[in-house]
Amino acid sequence: MDNKRGLFFYLKLYGKIVVQDIKSKMSYRADFIISTIGMVATNISGFIGFYILFRNFPSINGWTYDEMLFLYGFSLVSITPVQCLFDNNWSLRINVYTGDFIKYCFRPVNLFFYYQSEIFDIKGLGQLAFGIGTIIYAWSRIGLPVTFLAILKLIIFLSTASLVMIALQNAAAATCFWIQNSFYVLDLVNRFRDYAKYPITIFSPVFRFIFTFLFPIAFIAYYPSLVILRPNEIPLLTWLSPFIGAAFFYVSYRIWMYGAMRYNGTGS
Amino acid sequence: MKKYLTLTRAGIIEALQFRLSFVVIVVGNLLYLTVIYFLWKAIYASAGADRVNGMTFTDTLIYLVLATALFNFMEMYTVWEIGRSIQSGKIVLDIIKPMPYRRYLFWSFTGSFVTQFFLTFLPTFIVVCILTHGTIRFGVNIPLFILSVTMGIIINYSIDFIVGTICLYTESIWGINIMKQVIVLLFSGAVIPVAFFPETFKKVTFCLPFRAIYDAPLSILLSQGTSYPDLLHMFFVQLIWCVVMTAVSVLFWNVSLRQITVNGG
Repeated sequence: MDNKRGLFFYLKLYGKIVVQDIKSKMSYRADFIISTIGMVATNISGFIGFYILFRNFPSINGWTYDEMLFLYGFSLVSITPVQCLFDNNWSLRINVYTGDFIKYCFRPVNLFFYYQSEIFDIKGLGQLAFGIGTIIYAWSRIGLPVTFLAILKLIIFLSTASLVMIALQNAAAATCFWIQNSFYVLDLVNRFRDYAKYPITIFSPVFRFIFTFLFPIAFIAYYPSLVILRPNEIPLLTWLSPFIGAAFFYVSYRIWMYGAMRYNGTGS
Repeated sequence: MKKYLTLTRAGIIEALQFRLSFVVIVVGNLLYLTVIYFLWKAIYASAGADRVNGMTFTDTLIYLVLATALFNFMEMYTVWEIGRSIQSGKIVLDIIKPMPYRRYLFWSFTGSFVTQFFLTFLPTFIVVCILTHGTIRFGVNIPLFILSVTMGIIINYSIDFIVGTICLYTESIWGINIMKQVIVLLFSGAVIPVAFFPETFKKVTFCLPFRAIYDAPLSILLSQGTSYPDLLHMFFVQLIWCVVMTAVSVLFWNVSLRQITVNGG
């Protein structure tokens, strides 16, 4: 069914659904403002923690303070899409549990698309601004050249890196089609966001392997950011990271859809 | 007393229902501990000294591991529980129960305290004791630690309850809860030991109640050669916070109860 309609159709539809969502959020203005402040507080406290930990040390494992800051900013931006666009995954288990999920199954559009488009989390945009600010600051402090090619690379690697976190969250949310209480799985995956900001070189080889292939946290920020930070010695995994991001996303989409197809309502 | 213990029992049975989630929590904690182990190892390596801010690598690690264990055991999602009851209207049924709401909620959480204590805190504590070959002294600090944790639980619950009461006014849960969580975690020393804070920041922390939740019990447990007046001082400060926060949370709730608006239920 999805092949019959073009990208343009889906973009237009997405715009319409999102406008409705934003309108409905604006009617609970106090909640919206408090949530935004909460998000800003989270980011500020992240910065304070980062500052307290690393301010005293010129470098950690060959990573200077500014490079660490760049990595931090990179991870913030790369986890923004999952926050903004895929926040409805958090409600999936409740929808499945109560039986409300069935309503999504009867729409003549792609199920996954329709479900995810229902919520657009505006407060994630604050995090995006924080992240971009950090990247620019760190970029100028390190003194990296600003060229069109570098910015293009950054954008491509950022957007593909964001797919990794999206994929992890999709797969985690989809576990609710099989197990009852999938909140803990989602919460576990959600904590990966915080680990993405550290250079993977701090780990021992065994854990480097685990965090690259088993729990692919290193692809959220570390490998893709090397394309800017270490332009002279880019490892193969960095070049592969865009493809890995796309592949992960596709697999998670398949898992999600497979679970959704298995779903047969709760009969209420 | 019997009616309270019934709530505890129900809580234990409920907590044991979710065995799979227990496995996931353990995996998650192991991952977290791995990350902080290597992170601090790298930090100590680049510091080039055995002691940073008066703490050795082992001290820091024990502190953080036990802080995580304490956090898992103390976190009760009180704010969520209150917020959700307000939104669904269930709160009306809870309020007319033949015991004060604050007490009812607390005792219904004690079941998960008991299970979490035996399933996560105690094993972690034993493993830490064995792995660090007696860095933790066994003496008068152990009973003091237990008392201190109990007070920490009461302070933590009171803060949660105050924040939950705010939900009566705002009907917003997520934002309020995340703000509380961020502030408590940062200022209580659960993520970074308080000893590492810059001076001015430390002064601010000392004026806030959050330090009494995690930092006070852990400092008491890990105290080596700390003089008794110091320990007693910390203990005393904790006791004051305990009383103040309890009083504030009870008063605030009683005043706010008039505010309640219930949407069906």
